[in-house]
Amino acid sequence: MIQLDKVNKSFGSLTALREVTMQVEDGHIFGLVGTNGAGKSTLLRILAGIYRADSGQVLYDGAPVYENIPVKQEIFYISDDPYYFLNASIDEMKSYYRNLYPRFDQALYTKLLSGLDLDPNRKLHTFSKGMLRQAIIVLAFASRSHYILFDETFDGLDPVMRQAVKRLIASGVAENELVPVIASHNLRELEDIADHVSVLHRGSMVLDMRLDDMRADIYKIQCAFSEVPTPQWFQDLDVIQMEVRGRFATLVVRAPKAEILAAVQAREPVFMETIPLTLEEIFIAQMEGIGYEAKHILL
Amino acid sequence: MITIDSKSRLPFYEQLVENIRALVLSGALEGDAQLPSVRQLAGELGINPNTVQKAYASLEQTGVIYTVPGRGNFICSDTTALRADRGESLLEQLRQLVLQLRRLGIGQERVAACVQEVYKEEQRQ
Repeated sequence: MIQLDKVNKSFGSLTALREVTMQVEDGHIFGLVGTNGAGKSTLLRILAGIYRADSGQVLYDGAPVYENIPVKQEIFYISDDPYYFLNASIDEMKSYYRNLYPRFDQALYTKLLSGLDLDPNRKLHTFSKGMLRQAIIVLAFASRSHYILFDETFDGLDPVMRQAVKRLIASGVAENELVPVIASHNLRELEDIADHVSVLHRGSMVLDMRLDDMRADIYKIQCAFSEVPTPQWFQDLDVIQMEVRGRFATLVVRAPKAEILAAVQAREPVFMETIPLTLEEIFIAQMEGIGYEAKHILL
Repeated sequence: MITIDSKSRLPFYEQLVENIRALVLSGALEGDAQLPSVRQLAGELGINPNTVQKAYASLEQTGVIYTVPGRGNFICSDTTALRADRGESLLEQLRQLVLQLRRLGIGQERVAACVQEVYKEEQRQ
């Protein structure tokens, strides 16, 4: 389990992270969303023990990460801009990582590499962006680290490879060996796999939720009536959003489906349809609820 | 066999439940057939293992599958409850359709005739 308590980080006059408190539990897939410059990479570097927090605590199962080798041996950080030694090949990087990670799995490394069209002896600097990403991903999973920190890792990967990485993540978590933390500017990308999503905005954590809780009992209803609907009609429901255009109304409501249907049907709609909300819509509704102009943060 | 549509608005958990229910109703999954393990299915589909676990738990609660500790998840042979439930939801869909027909001004006789025709086909077979 990773615990962050009131972490602050500044670079000169720039405050990158402000009082960030979060918890990453074992058995879960943690997603971190935010626009460019929100502080995602800074947060991951603090999680990886690369940066030292100005104040606050970063604990892995109770132990601080910074300058702590036993803890860092359990963490693999996949940087947005993967680092490799000048003129090194994948095989040479593997020898390096094998010395750092005690459980490095040579068999898994060979297996993953053979599934990709990557030459283990070719120099990494001749690789394309996507190939380089693939190489680092192979090394990360083969390291058998308990924690893998993904920084915009799906960027630059083709759809087949994205799916393959998601499968690796899912298997790792199911076997209880892996705790992934995935940072992305794209909520859509996280929706498939994460079960806990936090939103970082200008260095602060503005929303931190389990997707199951968010998804429970929230619906979008499109309906039309023979007269113009008013908000009073639905005052007994927990209406998050309501938009009326003439006799048409679009509502976002947090309540059990049966309850919503009963309330709307009581007004004798000429047409009605309930649509499950996408995660993005739920986020926007939630964030506007706490006073953020969510469209600027997520899209 | 069990698939996920990542473009659908339905949450994966509901898709999995619906998918397995449909496979059981169609007979593609027979009584006592074993479902893939949570680990296996999550790995194959590339989705969160907790999502698969949640779908299995819901299927077990509604009597579609049963769990043998240490061995896995299996389909229940008795599909009575599942059939009854599906019947109810289809009747509700039919009600909605009839409502639309009524609004279009299509008379009761024509709707009833249409229903009768379908049942007659079965008798002929």
